[in-house]
Amino acid sequence: MSNEKRGLGRIFMNGVLTENPTFRLVLGTCPTLAVTTSAINGLGMGAAATFVLLGSNMAISALRKVIPDKVRIPAFIVIICTFVTIIQLLMQAFLPSLYESLGIFIPLIVVNCIILARAEAFASKNPVLDSAVDGLGMGAGFTLALTLIGSIRELVGNGSIFGISLLGASYQPMLLIILPAGGFLVFGSLLGIINAIGNKRKKGAKA
Amino acid sequence: MSLILSPAPHVRTKNTTQRLMLNVVISLLPCAAAGIYYFGLRAAIVLAVSVVSAVLAELVWQKLAHQTVRINDFSAVVTGLLLGLCITPSAPWWMVMIGAFFAIIVVKQLFGGIGDNFLNPALTARAVLLASWPALMTTHCTPFDAVTSATPLMTGEASTMQLLLGDVPGAIGETCKVAILLGFVYLLVTQTIRWEIPVFTVAAAALLSWALGLDPLTTVLSGGLLFGAVYMATDYVTSPLNRWAQIVYAIGIGVIVVIIRKFGAYPEGVTYAILLMNIAAPLLDRVMPQKIYGCRKARKEAK
Amino acid sequence: MKATFRGGVHPAHGSKAQTQGLATRSFVSDTVRIIMNMNIGAPSQPCVAKGDHVKIGQVIGEPVGFLGLPVHASVSGEVVSVEPIPYLSEQPAMCVTIHNDFADEWVELHPLGSVETVDPALIIPAIKNAGICGLGGASFPTHVKLSIKPEQKCDCIIANGAECETHLTCDHRLMLENPVRVVDGLRAAMRAINVKEGIIAIEDNKPDAIEAMRKACQGREGVRVQVLKTKYPQGGEKQLIEAVTGRQVPSGGLPIQAGVIVMNVATCAAVADAVIDGKPLVERIVTVTGAVRQPANLRLRIGTITEDIIGECGGFSGDVGKVIFGGAMTGMCAPNTSIPIAKATGGILVLDKQDAASVEEGPCLRCGKCVEVCPIGLHPLKIKIAADADRIDECKRLHVMDCTLCGSCSFICPAHRWLTASFKVAKQKLAAQAKKGGSGK
Repeated sequence: MSNEKRGLGRIFMNGVLTENPTFRLVLGTCPTLAVTTSAINGLGMGAAATFVLLGSNMAISALRKVIPDKVRIPAFIVIICTFVTIIQLLMQAFLPSLYESLGIFIPLIVVNCIILARAEAFASKNPVLDSAVDGLGMGAGFTLALTLIGSIRELVGNGSIFGISLLGASYQPMLLIILPAGGFLVFGSLLGIINAIGNKRKKGAKA
Repeated sequence: MSLILSPAPHVRTKNTTQRLMLNVVISLLPCAAAGIYYFGLRAAIVLAVSVVSAVLAELVWQKLAHQTVRINDFSAVVTGLLLGLCITPSAPWWMVMIGAFFAIIVVKQLFGGIGDNFLNPALTARAVLLASWPALMTTHCTPFDAVTSATPLMTGEASTMQLLLGDVPGAIGETCKVAILLGFVYLLVTQTIRWEIPVFTVAAAALLSWALGLDPLTTVLSGGLLFGAVYMATDYVTSPLNRWAQIVYAIGIGVIVVIIRKFGAYPEGVTYAILLMNIAAPLLDRVMPQKIYGCRKARKEAK
Repeated sequence: MKATFRGGVHPAHGSKAQTQGLATRSFVSDTVRIIMNMNIGAPSQPCVAKGDHVKIGQVIGEPVGFLGLPVHASVSGEVVSVEPIPYLSEQPAMCVTIHNDFADEWVELHPLGSVETVDPALIIPAIKNAGICGLGGASFPTHVKLSIKPEQKCDCIIANGAECETHLTCDHRLMLENPVRVVDGLRAAMRAINVKEGIIAIEDNKPDAIEAMRKACQGREGVRVQVLKTKYPQGGEKQLIEAVTGRQVPSGGLPIQAGVIVMNVATCAAVADAVIDGKPLVERIVTVTGAVRQPANLRLRIGTITEDIIGECGGFSGDVGKVIFGGAMTGMCAPNTSIPIAKATGGILVLDKQDAASVEEGPCLRCGKCVEVCPIGLHPLKIKIAADADRIDECKRLHVMDCTLCGSCSFICPAHRWLTASFKVAKQKLAAQAKKGGSGK
């Protein structure tokens, strides 16, 4: 891999934009669709995942020469579980209301494919610092995407963002958007728009 | 002298896409007229907003996507009119507009435009509006005055004659059964649709409600069953292609309607019944293929 | 009871009215151009040269290969050229041009006498020597059709008088004016292969022809008339067999596998001429209709040039757009008016500029009308998508090879899609593919 030659900033931005886990890699769509009913939920989920990504990426990278190849997946899972348990207990202690609303999706971070994918594709092949930055970048990308989707859904479906009412009392919220179907609609539309922009850029670069 | 060269056949039907869509529009006019007669100006505004928004949405999308603009095929008019007729006359204009945009852009154009949508655009838009603004969508008003009231499906109070003529609260186009039947006959005469889907839908609903101890006549005449069976279930794109599959599809709609009405949380289930069977349509076509000439033996051998 | 099949359409209502009441009249032009590939199979080999004098009925093209047929001079006179000319298909056709001397000199004929007494073994050779192929349009050599293998069973010959194509009335007129010849030809074919049942199938829009044929059948052994419902493509071989016998030709098979042989009524009459009079096929009835001043049914010599025919009918009326050989559903467009008629040309249909205007293809509505009308039970809309994307294997899976190119789906399509044209291309590609890989299988 040529990642050594790239700067750490590039690794970070790779996670946020070029390989945004939600919009470019379309990984971890289950929590993306399920928890983004409000901006704060999206942000909370993103932050939790970022913490786990950072921790597991660093741990796996540090242990990459020790873990035998044949049992690497179980080993990764155990490491990820550790960090998920930590964040779960922390959230339960300090952010009980957020913990409540995210519910089952916090423990489910264990099987979030973004985290396993980064462990397999990046952390197990790169030094600790690079892996940490990659984890932060991916986490930031994931958080950004979830917060964006959450904001849109909260705004249309509830008239507010982060609980702050923006559209006034006369606004009749479109409930559908915070229902599961709305998650698919918003996510699909954003994917389409981002792909369209990407395609235009590609064409522009070629010309 | 240069002669025109082309492959056969050299005659084409006069029932073009435009003509078929126009037939549907014409067949909907009695329903629209009845709706405006009973519910007044508000119904007319809902219908007008719906049609104009649908056509506008189609125009804007096709311009933006650099496609051939085909608003003159009347398909957007049909969608707009159907949407307007299946929502309540007291619906606010902005809600109707959002519904029309949703029907045309999200349900129809995003999936490839005319002929490629897998759900009925007007009905999906109705379902979206119902999920988004349940209170606004279920506020019905009685004919001739603006008093809000529940539909007979919720209260069970209406004479057969009232149901038949449409002198009951409900969506603009669904209340007057006489107008719907008039439109149905027109569609049959002009060979726009076939009789199977509406007839089997209604028959299945009547039969099941009779079996469950309900009054079949009330089942058929109340709510949007007739309107859905004639105009929504027969949508070309979202109904099966094969004849037997069409019949099973129609029976499925009738059965689901009665199940939702009798056991479900909603008083009315036509929208969801049709949308569910829309999704099942390709599957039905697959399980019940057409018999192909000369292939009877071959299929037996394959088994 | 009126027999019929599933599906079908009712195209161009009333299009036959122009000519169905008109008695046939003869027309002989001063020049004929006789092409060498008038039937399915290899083109015949010209055996005359420029400057030769020929008599009517003289062989001017020798048969080549299993499906070959001889070609005969249709007028007496001098051969003025032997050269290829552009024809209906993309390939040019070898053509013998003869200048008519109007002496009407025939070669020596060998009549075999009554069809009821002739030695059955002589019938098939006589049909071959007369150069007879299917005159309904398919132009399959009749003697090959009748040469069934010993293991094949045939219990019924159907004389096809359905004439379901739009505009054409040549078979109708033939059945009205010469019903006995049709029955004679059918009897000859039945005796040749020892078949006991002969059915003359006619659509119910020709009650006078039904009456005439019924009369002609009286007192004849094993022949009867079957009335069919008027619907296109009732006269298609597969649909006709299904309607009349209730049997189906197996997919990819021949009618004989359903125990049936179908012959056009005009072919039957030609067979009768060949057996009774020993006359080769040198003339046929052609319906000339559409945008011509005097539509007509003409008895024409094979090789008569379109221009002369149109002239005989008073010329074009209005701006000419298309000149179609055949009917409006399956006919082919003539590239120019100097091409001649062939054995299987049943009609010349002229469309004016307005009727011939090319139609623009719209997006598919998935309305399913094509599925409804397809007499085979195919999904034309799906085959069209696969064919346009050049997914030939998918076309094959969707049974495009069972398509008879009847054109019903294209006719009924509200979006005016070119369904049949795409299927023709797909079928040709698949046939070419099978030829390439076929030897290995």
